[in-house]
Amino acid sequence: MDLDKIKKAIIDMDDSAVKTLVETALKEKVPAQQILQDGLIAGMKEVGRLFTEQVYFVPEVLLASEAFYIGFDIISPLIKLQGEKGKVKVVMCVVEGDIHDIGKNIVKVMFEASGCQVVDLGRNVAVKRIIEAVEKEKPDVLAMSSLMTTTMMSMADVIKELVKRGLRKDLKIIVGGAPVNQEFCNQIGADGYGRDAQEAVQLIERLI
Amino acid sequence: MDRILEVIEQKRNNAVFPIVGADHCARLLNLNFSNVVRDGRKLAEVLEYGYNLYGYDMVLVFSDPYVEAQAMGCQIEFTPYPTIVTAQTDKRFDRTPVIIEATKILKQKLDVPIFVSIKGPFSLAAFLVGIDKFLRLLVREENAVKKAIDQVFEFQKNYLSKLLALDANIFLGDPLASASVISPDMFKKYAYQPLKILVDKIKDKGLIAGIHICGDTRPIISMLDSLQTDILSVEDITVATNTTRMGGVSTQTILNGNLSKIRKEVRQAKKGNHIIIATACDVPPKTNPKSIKEMIRYARQEN
Repeated sequence: MDLDKIKKAIIDMDDSAVKTLVETALKEKVPAQQILQDGLIAGMKEVGRLFTEQVYFVPEVLLASEAFYIGFDIISPLIKLQGEKGKVKVVMCVVEGDIHDIGKNIVKVMFEASGCQVVDLGRNVAVKRIIEAVEKEKPDVLAMSSLMTTTMMSMADVIKELVKRGLRKDLKIIVGGAPVNQEFCNQIGADGYGRDAQEAVQLIERLI
Repeated sequence: MDRILEVIEQKRNNAVFPIVGADHCARLLNLNFSNVVRDGRKLAEVLEYGYNLYGYDMVLVFSDPYVEAQAMGCQIEFTPYPTIVTAQTDKRFDRTPVIIEATKILKQKLDVPIFVSIKGPFSLAAFLVGIDKFLRLLVREENAVKKAIDQVFEFQKNYLSKLLALDANIFLGDPLASASVISPDMFKKYAYQPLKILVDKIKDKGLIAGIHICGDTRPIISMLDSLQTDILSVEDITVATNTTRMGGVSTQTILNGNLSKIRKEVRQAKKGNHIIIATACDVPPKTNPKSIKEMIRYARQEN
Protein backbone atom coordinates (compact mmCIF):
# COMPACT_ATOMS: atom_id res chain seq x y z
CA MET A 1 0.00 0.00 0.00
CA ASP A 2 1.28 3.43 -0.95
CA LEU A 3 0.83 5.49 2.22
CA ASP A 4 0.97 8.67 0.17
CA LYS A 5 -2.62 7.85 -0.76
CA ILE A 6 -3.62 8.22 2.90
CA LYS A 7 -1.63 11.43 3.13
CA LYS A 8 -3.40 12.75 0.03
CA ALA A 9 -6.83 11.75 1.38
CA ILE A 10 -6.11 13.78 4.53
CA ILE A 11 -5.04 16.77 2.46
CA ASP A 12 -8.18 16.36 0.33
CA MET A 13 -10.32 16.19 3.53
CA ASP A 14 -11.76 12.93 2.20
CA ASP A 15 -12.78 11.02 5.34
CA SER A 16 -14.37 8.06 3.57
CA ALA A 17 -11.20 7.54 1.51
CA VAL A 18 -9.11 7.73 4.70
CA LYS A 19 -11.27 5.02 6.30
CA THR A 20 -11.06 2.69 3.31
CA LEU A 21 -7.33 3.23 2.82
CA VAL A 22 -6.40 2.74 6.49
CA GLU A 23 -8.48 -0.46 6.68
CA THR A 24 -6.86 -1.71 3.49
CA ALA A 25 -3.38 -0.90 4.78
CA LEU A 26 -4.06 -2.85 7.99
CA LYS A 27 -5.35 -5.83 5.98
CA GLU A 28 -2.12 -5.68 4.00
CA LYS A 29 -0.23 -5.91 7.33
CA VAL A 30 1.26 -2.43 7.15
CA PRO A 31 2.28 -1.63 10.76
CA ALA A 32 -0.12 0.79 12.47
CA GLN A 33 2.78 3.02 13.51
CA GLN A 34 3.83 3.36 9.89
CA ILE A 35 0.29 4.17 8.78
CA LEU A 36 0.20 6.83 11.45
CA GLN A 37 3.57 8.37 10.65
CA ASP A 38 3.75 8.14 6.88
CA GLY A 39 0.03 8.49 6.14
CA LEU A 40 -1.99 10.35 8.72
CA ILE A 41 0.69 12.51 10.34
CA ALA A 42 2.36 13.25 7.02
CA GLY A 43 -1.03 14.43 5.76
CA MET A 44 -1.62 16.68 8.76
CA LYS A 45 1.86 18.13 8.50
CA GLU A 46 1.12 19.13 4.93
CA VAL A 47 -2.24 20.56 6.02
CA GLY A 48 -0.37 22.58 8.65
CA ARG A 49 2.00 23.89 6.00
CA LEU A 50 -0.88 24.84 3.72
CA PHE A 51 -2.50 26.66 6.65
CA THR A 52 0.68 28.57 7.43
CA GLU A 53 0.95 29.60 3.79
CA GLN A 54 -2.70 30.72 3.75
CA VAL A 55 -3.69 28.18 1.13
CA TYR A 56 -5.91 26.43 3.67
CA PHE A 57 -7.99 28.25 6.25
CA VAL A 58 -9.91 27.09 9.33
CA PRO A 59 -12.71 25.23 7.45
CA GLU A 60 -10.24 23.11 5.48
CA VAL A 61 -8.11 22.37 8.56
CA LEU A 62 -11.22 21.41 10.48
CA LEU A 63 -12.29 18.92 7.81
CA ALA A 64 -8.77 17.54 7.40
CA SER A 65 -8.62 17.06 11.19
CA GLU A 66 -11.82 15.07 11.08
CA ALA A 67 -10.42 12.91 8.31
CA PHE A 68 -7.30 12.40 10.45
CA TYR A 69 -9.40 11.19 13.38
CA ILE A 70 -11.33 8.73 11.18
CA GLY A 71 -8.01 7.02 10.49
CA PHE A 72 -6.51 7.62 13.92
CA ASP A 73 -9.47 6.02 15.70
CA ILE A 74 -9.04 2.85 13.63
CA ILE A 75 -5.34 2.45 14.40
CA SER A 76 -5.04 3.99 17.86
CA PRO A 77 -6.00 0.77 19.77
CA LEU A 78 -3.16 -1.00 17.97
CA ILE A 79 -0.70 1.77 18.74
CA LYS A 80 -1.70 1.95 22.39
CA LEU A 81 -0.59 -1.65 22.76
CA GLN A 82 2.89 -0.37 22.10
CA GLY A 83 2.55 1.77 25.23
CA GLU A 84 2.17 5.44 26.09
CA LYS A 85 5.45 5.60 27.97
CA GLY A 86 7.81 8.29 26.83
CA LYS A 87 5.13 10.42 25.22
CA VAL A 88 4.75 14.05 26.19
CA LYS A 89 1.53 14.32 28.13
CA VAL A 90 -0.62 17.38 27.52
CA VAL A 91 -3.73 18.48 29.40
CA MET A 92 -5.65 20.98 27.30
CA CYS A 93 -8.84 23.00 27.48
CA VAL A 94 -10.74 26.15 26.60
CA VAL A 95 -11.10 28.16 29.80
CA GLU A 96 -14.27 28.97 31.72
CA GLY A 97 -16.95 31.08 30.06
CA ASP A 98 -15.70 30.30 26.58
CA ILE A 99 -17.18 27.68 24.31
CA HIS A 100 -15.12 28.41 21.19
CA ASP A 101 -13.18 25.19 20.78
CA ILE A 102 -12.50 24.89 17.05
CA GLY A 103 -8.95 26.16 17.47
CA LYS A 104 -8.35 23.94 20.48
CA ASN A 105 -9.57 20.89 18.56
CA ILE A 106 -7.24 21.65 15.67
CA VAL A 107 -4.31 22.06 18.06
CA LYS A 108 -5.27 18.76 19.68
CA VAL A 109 -5.03 16.96 16.34
CA MET A 110 -1.62 18.45 15.72
CA PHE A 111 -0.44 17.45 19.20
CA GLU A 112 -1.64 13.89 18.69
CA ALA A 113 -0.17 13.83 15.21
CA SER A 114 3.17 14.86 16.68
CA GLY A 115 3.04 12.01 19.19
CA CYS A 116 1.74 13.70 22.33
CA GLN A 117 -0.65 11.98 24.70
CA VAL A 118 -3.55 14.41 25.06
CA VAL A 119 -6.08 14.69 27.88
CA ASP A 120 -8.75 16.99 26.48
CA LEU A 121 -10.89 18.65 29.17
CA GLY A 122 -13.11 20.28 26.54
CA ARG A 123 -14.45 23.79 26.62
CA ASN A 124 -15.82 26.16 29.27
CA VAL A 125 -13.63 24.46 31.90
CA ALA A 126 -13.60 25.93 35.40
CA VAL A 127 -10.31 26.76 37.16
CA LYS A 128 -11.01 24.12 39.80
CA ARG A 129 -11.41 21.37 37.20
CA ILE A 130 -8.18 22.32 35.47
CA ILE A 131 -6.30 22.20 38.77
CA GLU A 132 -7.81 18.80 39.58
CA ALA A 133 -6.78 17.49 36.16
CA VAL A 134 -3.20 18.70 36.63
CA GLU A 135 -3.09 17.02 40.04
CA LYS A 136 -4.51 13.78 38.69
CA GLU A 137 -2.86 13.52 35.27
CA LYS A 138 0.52 15.04 36.14
CA PRO A 139 1.03 16.32 32.59
CA ASP A 140 4.22 17.75 31.13
CA VAL A 141 2.26 20.53 29.52
CA LEU A 142 -0.93 22.44 30.26
CA ALA A 143 -2.35 24.10 27.13
CA MET A 144 -5.14 26.65 27.58
CA SER A 145 -7.00 28.78 25.09
CA SER A 146 -9.61 31.49 24.97
CA LEU A 147 -11.25 33.34 22.10
CA MET A 148 -12.69 36.20 24.08
CA THR A 149 -11.22 39.13 25.95
CA THR A 150 -13.84 38.55 28.64
CA THR A 151 -12.58 35.05 29.41
CA MET A 152 -8.83 35.16 28.82
CA MET A 153 -8.00 36.35 32.33
CA SER A 154 -9.19 33.00 33.61
CA MET A 155 -5.84 31.61 32.41
CA ALA A 156 -4.10 33.92 34.87
CA ASP A 157 -6.33 32.59 37.66
CA VAL A 158 -5.33 29.02 36.77
CA ILE A 159 -1.63 29.86 36.92
CA LYS A 160 -1.99 31.68 40.25
CA GLU A 161 -3.79 28.66 41.70
CA LEU A 162 -1.15 26.25 40.36
CA VAL A 163 1.59 28.33 41.97
CA LYS A 164 -0.35 28.47 45.23
CA ARG A 165 -0.68 24.69 45.31
CA GLY A 166 2.93 24.03 44.37
CA LEU A 167 1.96 22.46 41.02
CA ARG A 168 3.62 24.99 38.74
CA LYS A 169 7.28 24.06 39.02
CA ASP A 170 7.47 20.96 36.83
CA LEU A 171 4.72 22.01 34.47
CA LYS A 172 5.07 23.90 31.19
CA ILE A 173 2.11 26.13 30.45
CA ILE A 174 1.29 27.26 26.95
CA VAL A 175 -1.52 29.55 25.86
CA GLY A 176 -3.30 30.50 22.66
CA GLY A 177 -6.45 31.96 21.12
CA ALA A 178 -7.41 35.03 19.13
CA PRO A 179 -6.99 37.73 21.81
CA VAL A 180 -3.87 36.13 23.29
CA ASN A 181 -0.33 37.16 22.37
CA GLN A 182 3.22 36.86 23.65
CA GLU A 183 2.79 39.89 25.87
CA PHE A 184 -0.24 38.38 27.56
CA CYS A 185 1.65 35.11 27.94
CA ASN A 186 4.51 36.91 29.71
CA GLN A 187 2.11 38.94 31.81
CA ILE A 188 0.31 35.94 33.27
CA GLY A 189 3.49 33.91 33.72
CA ALA A 190 2.92 31.21 31.10
CA ASP A 191 5.89 29.55 29.40
CA GLY A 192 4.90 30.03 25.80
CA TYR A 193 2.39 31.35 23.29
CA GLY A 194 1.48 29.67 20.03
CA ARG A 195 -0.16 31.73 17.29
CA ASP A 196 -1.55 28.63 15.60
CA ALA A 197 -1.48 24.84 15.77
CA GLN A 198 1.87 24.57 14.02
CA GLU A 199 3.48 27.00 16.43
CA ALA A 200 1.94 25.20 19.39
CA VAL A 201 3.60 21.96 18.33
CA GLN A 202 6.94 23.70 17.82
CA LEU A 203 6.54 25.30 21.23
CA ILE A 204 6.17 21.93 22.94
CA GLU A 205 9.18 20.60 21.06
CA ARG A 206 11.17 23.59 22.30
CA LEU A 207 9.95 23.52 25.89
CA ILE A 208 10.18 19.81 26.61
CA MET B 1 -17.86 69.02 17.41
CA ASP B 2 -17.91 65.92 15.20
CA ARG B 3 -14.27 64.89 15.17
CA ILE B 4 -15.11 61.53 13.60
CA LEU B 5 -16.72 63.13 10.57
CA GLU B 6 -13.86 65.59 10.30
CA VAL B 7 -11.36 62.73 10.12
CA ILE B 8 -13.48 60.94 7.52
CA GLU B 9 -13.66 64.15 5.49
CA GLN B 10 -9.91 64.56 5.94
CA LYS B 11 -10.30 67.91 7.68
CA ARG B 12 -8.68 66.59 10.84
CA ASN B 13 -5.87 64.12 11.31
CA ASN B 14 -7.07 62.14 14.33
CA ALA B 15 -10.00 61.32 16.51
CA VAL B 16 -10.00 58.80 19.34
CA PHE B 17 -12.25 55.99 20.46
CA PRO B 18 -11.02 53.13 22.64
CA ILE B 19 -13.77 50.67 21.80
CA VAL B 20 -15.65 50.86 25.07
CA GLY B 21 -18.77 48.72 25.26
CA ALA B 22 -21.39 48.24 27.92
CA ASP B 23 -19.54 45.42 29.70
CA HIS B 24 -16.65 47.64 30.81
CA CYS B 25 -18.97 50.48 31.83
CA ALA B 26 -21.31 48.15 33.76
CA ARG B 27 -18.34 46.78 35.66
CA LEU B 28 -17.22 50.27 36.65
CA LEU B 29 -20.72 50.96 37.95
CA ASN B 30 -20.89 47.62 39.75
CA LEU B 31 -24.00 46.66 37.81
CA ASN B 32 -24.96 43.13 36.84
CA PHE B 33 -24.19 42.98 33.13
CA SER B 34 -26.91 40.47 32.35
CA ASN B 35 -29.51 42.95 33.68
CA VAL B 36 -28.02 45.84 31.74
CA VAL B 37 -28.34 44.07 28.39
CA ARG B 38 -32.06 43.47 28.93
CA ASP B 39 -32.96 47.07 29.70
CA GLY B 40 -32.63 49.91 27.18
CA ARG B 41 -32.54 52.63 29.84
CA LYS B 42 -29.85 50.86 31.84
CA LEU B 43 -27.84 50.18 28.69
CA ALA B 44 -28.03 53.88 27.78
CA GLU B 45 -27.11 54.81 31.35
CA VAL B 46 -23.90 52.75 31.39
CA LEU B 47 -22.82 53.92 27.94
CA GLU B 48 -23.52 57.54 28.92
CA TYR B 49 -21.44 56.99 32.04
CA GLY B 50 -18.54 55.71 29.94
CA TYR B 51 -18.77 58.69 27.62
CA ASN B 52 -18.88 61.20 30.47
CA LEU B 53 -15.99 59.48 32.22
CA TYR B 54 -13.68 59.31 29.23
CA GLY B 55 -14.95 61.90 26.74
CA TYR B 56 -14.02 59.98 23.58
CA ASP B 57 -15.18 61.10 20.15
CA MET B 58 -18.05 58.70 19.50
CA VAL B 59 -20.32 56.32 21.37
CA LEU B 60 -20.92 52.76 20.28
CA VAL B 61 -24.16 51.13 21.34
CA PHE B 62 -22.67 47.70 21.92
CA SER B 63 -23.78 45.28 24.59
CA ASP B 64 -22.49 41.97 23.22
CA PRO B 65 -22.11 40.18 19.88
CA TYR B 66 -25.22 38.00 20.22
CA VAL B 67 -28.18 40.40 20.16
CA GLU B 68 -29.41 39.37 16.70
CA ALA B 69 -28.45 35.71 17.19
CA GLN B 70 -30.58 35.53 20.34
CA ALA B 71 -33.45 37.30 18.60
CA MET B 72 -33.31 34.58 15.94
CA GLY B 73 -33.27 31.69 18.40
CA CYS B 74 -29.72 31.06 19.63
CA GLN B 75 -29.57 30.42 23.36
CA ILE B 76 -27.22 32.72 25.22
CA GLU B 77 -25.88 32.35 28.74
CA PHE B 78 -24.60 35.26 30.79
CA THR B 79 -21.92 34.34 33.34
CA PRO B 80 -22.00 37.40 33.57
CA TYR B 81 -20.56 37.88 30.07
CA PRO B 82 -22.42 36.20 27.26
CA THR B 83 -21.57 32.97 25.54
CA ILE B 84 -23.59 31.36 22.81
CA VAL B 85 -24.65 27.90 23.96
CA THR B 86 -26.83 26.61 21.14
CA ALA B 87 -27.41 27.12 17.46
CA GLN B 88 -30.84 28.31 16.35
CA THR B 89 -33.84 27.00 18.30
CA ASP B 90 -37.54 27.95 18.32
CA LYS B 91 -37.05 29.88 21.55
CA ARG B 92 -36.38 33.49 20.67
CA PHE B 93 -35.52 36.37 22.92
CA ASP B 94 -35.48 39.65 21.09
CA ARG B 95 -33.19 42.30 22.59
CA THR B 96 -33.16 44.50 19.49
CA PRO B 97 -35.79 46.78 21.13
CA VAL B 98 -33.30 47.25 24.01
CA ILE B 99 -30.65 48.46 21.56
CA ILE B 100 -33.18 50.69 19.81
CA GLU B 101 -34.35 52.23 23.07
CA ALA B 102 -30.76 52.86 24.25
CA THR B 103 -29.92 54.43 20.89
CA LYS B 104 -32.91 56.77 21.07
CA ILE B 105 -31.96 57.90 24.59
CA LEU B 106 -28.30 58.42 23.77
CA LYS B 107 -29.09 60.34 20.60
CA GLN B 108 -31.26 62.69 22.62
CA LYS B 109 -28.80 63.15 25.46
CA LEU B 110 -25.34 63.22 23.90
CA ASP B 111 -23.90 65.59 21.37
CA VAL B 112 -21.54 63.08 19.81
CA PRO B 113 -21.89 60.62 16.92
CA ILE B 114 -23.82 57.56 18.02
CA PHE B 115 -23.01 54.29 16.30
CA VAL B 116 -24.84 51.02 16.72
CA SER B 117 -22.98 47.75 16.38
CA ILE B 118 -24.71 45.11 14.26
CA LYS B 119 -23.46 41.77 12.99
CA GLY B 120 -22.44 41.03 9.45
CA PRO B 121 -24.74 38.42 7.85
CA PHE B 122 -21.91 35.91 7.41
CA SER B 123 -21.03 35.77 11.11
CA LEU B 124 -24.67 35.87 12.15
CA ALA B 125 -25.45 32.91 9.89
CA ALA B 126 -22.54 31.04 11.48
CA PHE B 127 -23.94 31.68 14.97
CA LEU B 128 -27.35 30.36 13.92
CA VAL B 129 -26.11 27.24 12.18
CA GLY B 130 -23.44 26.62 14.81
CA ILE B 131 -19.90 27.75 14.02
CA ASP B 132 -18.38 24.26 13.65
CA LYS B 133 -21.11 23.07 11.37
CA PHE B 134 -21.12 26.28 9.37
CA LEU B 135 -17.39 26.08 8.71
CA ARG B 136 -17.82 22.55 7.39
CA LEU B 137 -20.69 23.61 5.16
CA LEU B 138 -18.50 26.29 3.61
CA VAL B 139 -16.43 23.57 1.99
CA ARG B 140 -19.10 20.95 1.45
CA GLU B 141 -22.55 22.51 0.99
CA GLU B 142 -22.62 25.85 -0.73
CA ASN B 143 -26.42 25.96 -0.97
CA ALA B 144 -26.90 25.41 2.75
CA VAL B 145 -24.54 28.31 3.47
CA LYS B 146 -26.34 30.59 1.03
CA LYS B 147 -29.70 29.63 2.50
CA ALA B 148 -28.51 30.44 6.03
CA ILE B 149 -27.10 33.79 4.94
CA ASP B 150 -30.30 34.65 3.05
CA GLN B 151 -32.32 33.94 6.19
CA VAL B 152 -30.29 36.24 8.42
CA PHE B 153 -29.91 38.85 5.73
CA GLU B 154 -33.66 39.52 5.72
CA PHE B 155 -33.58 39.91 9.49
CA GLN B 156 -30.59 42.25 9.36
CA LYS B 157 -32.09 44.43 6.63
CA ASN B 158 -35.20 44.88 8.75
CA TYR B 159 -33.22 45.62 11.93
CA LEU B 160 -30.97 48.01 10.05
CA SER B 161 -33.99 49.92 8.70
CA LYS B 162 -35.22 50.46 12.26
CA LEU B 163 -31.83 51.80 13.32
CA LEU B 164 -31.47 54.01 10.27
CA ALA B 165 -34.89 55.48 11.03
CA LEU B 166 -33.28 56.77 14.25
CA ASP B 167 -30.46 58.36 12.22
CA ALA B 168 -27.96 56.11 13.95
CA ASN B 169 -24.56 55.50 12.37
CA ILE B 170 -23.73 51.84 11.99
CA PHE B 171 -20.74 49.64 12.72
CA LEU B 172 -20.90 46.25 11.07
CA GLY B 173 -18.91 43.57 12.89
CA ASP B 174 -18.11 40.39 10.98
CA PRO B 175 -15.54 38.48 13.05
CA LEU B 176 -15.88 35.15 11.28
CA ALA B 177 -15.33 36.76 7.88
CA SER B 178 -11.73 37.45 8.94
CA ALA B 179 -8.91 35.94 6.92
CA SER B 180 -7.82 34.36 10.22
CA VAL B 181 -10.83 32.09 9.70
CA ILE B 182 -11.86 31.90 6.05
CA SER B 183 -10.14 32.31 2.71
CA PRO B 184 -10.42 35.46 0.60
CA ASP B 185 -12.36 33.37 -1.95
CA MET B 186 -14.92 32.43 0.69
CA PHE B 187 -15.12 36.03 1.82
CA LYS B 188 -15.84 37.10 -1.74
CA LYS B 189 -18.34 34.31 -2.32
CA TYR B 190 -20.37 34.56 0.88
CA ALA B 191 -19.59 37.59 3.05
CA TYR B 192 -18.95 40.44 0.65
CA GLN B 193 -22.26 40.95 -1.14
CA PRO B 194 -24.56 41.05 1.93
CA LEU B 195 -22.16 43.50 3.58
CA LYS B 196 -22.11 45.67 0.46
CA ILE B 197 -25.89 45.88 0.35
CA LEU B 198 -26.07 46.86 4.03
CA VAL B 199 -23.30 49.44 3.62
CA ASP B 200 -25.07 50.98 0.61
CA LYS B 201 -28.29 51.21 2.61
CA ILE B 202 -26.49 53.08 5.40
CA LYS B 203 -24.77 55.44 3.00
CA ASP B 204 -27.95 56.08 1.00
CA LYS B 205 -29.38 57.44 4.23
CA GLY B 206 -26.41 59.81 4.59
CA LEU B 207 -25.17 58.07 7.73
CA ILE B 208 -21.70 56.83 8.60
CA ALA B 209 -20.92 53.18 7.89
CA GLY B 210 -18.03 51.45 9.61
CA ILE B 211 -16.86 47.87 9.48
CA HIS B 212 -14.89 46.01 12.12
CA ILE B 213 -13.14 42.73 11.40
CA CYS B 214 -10.63 41.32 13.87
CA GLY B 215 -7.59 39.20 13.13
CA ASP B 216 -5.80 39.07 9.81
CA THR B 217 -7.47 41.25 7.18
CA ARG B 218 -4.52 41.84 4.87
CA PRO B 219 -5.59 39.20 2.30
CA ILE B 220 -9.05 40.81 2.01
CA ILE B 221 -8.13 44.46 2.45
CA SER B 222 -8.85 45.45 -1.16
CA MET B 223 -12.32 43.89 -0.91
CA LEU B 224 -12.93 45.68 2.39
CA ASP B 225 -11.87 48.91 0.73
CA SER B 226 -14.26 48.33 -2.15
CA LEU B 227 -17.19 48.08 0.28
CA GLN B 228 -16.78 51.86 0.45
CA THR B 229 -17.51 52.15 4.13
CA ASP B 230 -16.48 55.38 5.82
CA ILE B 231 -14.41 53.62 8.48
CA LEU B 232 -12.38 50.44 8.42
CA SER B 233 -11.58 49.11 11.89
CA VAL B 234 -8.83 46.50 11.55
CA GLU B 235 -5.92 45.17 13.56
CA ASP B 236 -3.20 46.37 11.19
CA ILE B 237 -3.72 50.04 10.40
CA THR B 238 -0.37 50.37 8.66
CA VAL B 239 -1.80 48.74 5.56
CA ALA B 240 -2.67 51.26 2.84
CA THR B 241 -6.39 51.76 2.24
CA ASN B 242 -8.67 54.30 0.59
CA THR B 243 -10.93 54.12 3.63
CA THR B 244 -10.37 55.95 6.92
CA ARG B 245 -8.70 53.48 9.23
CA MET B 246 -9.50 52.92 12.87
CA GLY B 247 -7.28 51.13 15.37
CA GLY B 248 -3.64 51.25 16.40
CA VAL B 249 -3.67 50.17 20.04
CA SER B 250 -3.61 46.48 20.78
CA THR B 251 -6.31 45.15 23.08
CA GLN B 252 -3.56 43.51 25.12
CA THR B 253 -1.74 46.79 25.55
CA ILE B 254 -4.79 48.54 26.93
CA LEU B 255 -5.53 45.61 29.23
CA ASN B 256 -1.96 45.35 30.52
CA GLY B 257 -2.00 48.96 31.54
CA ASN B 258 1.60 49.77 30.66
CA LEU B 259 1.14 53.49 30.05
CA SER B 260 4.37 54.03 28.17
CA LYS B 261 3.45 51.20 25.80
CA ILE B 262 0.02 52.73 25.29
CA ARG B 263 1.67 56.06 24.45
CA LYS B 264 4.08 54.34 22.08
CA GLU B 265 1.27 52.66 20.14
CA VAL B 266 -0.77 55.87 20.03
CA ARG B 267 2.31 57.77 18.80
CA GLN B 268 2.80 55.16 16.09
CA ALA B 269 -0.87 55.36 15.05
CA LYS B 270 -0.68 59.15 14.85
CA LYS B 271 2.00 58.86 12.19
CA GLY B 272 -0.72 57.75 9.76
CA ASN B 273 -2.95 60.37 8.19
CA HIS B 274 -6.63 60.60 9.03
CA ILE B 275 -6.78 57.83 11.61
CA ILE B 276 -9.35 57.19 14.29
CA ILE B 277 -7.07 56.03 17.06
CA ALA B 278 -8.79 53.07 18.66
CA THR B 279 -8.21 49.74 20.28
CA ALA B 280 -8.00 46.78 17.91
CA CYS B 281 -11.11 45.26 19.50
CA ASP B 282 -13.45 46.22 22.34
CA VAL B 283 -11.65 46.92 25.60
CA PRO B 284 -11.83 44.01 28.05
CA PRO B 285 -14.18 44.69 30.98
CA LYS B 286 -11.36 44.63 33.54
CA THR B 287 -9.31 47.32 31.77
CA ASN B 288 -8.05 49.95 34.17
CA PRO B 289 -9.74 53.30 33.44
CA LYS B 290 -6.34 54.99 33.82
CA SER B 291 -5.19 53.20 30.67
CA ILE B 292 -8.18 54.40 28.66
CA LYS B 293 -7.79 57.96 29.94
CA GLU B 294 -4.10 57.97 29.06
CA MET B 295 -4.81 56.65 25.57
CA ILE B 296 -7.27 59.49 24.96
CA ARG B 297 -5.10 62.16 26.59
CA TYR B 298 -2.08 61.20 24.55
CA ALA B 299 -4.05 60.87 21.31
CA ARG B 300 -5.24 64.43 21.71
CA GLN B 301 -1.92 65.85 22.78
CA GLU B 302 -0.24 67.93 20.10
CA ASN B 303 3.20 66.55 19.33
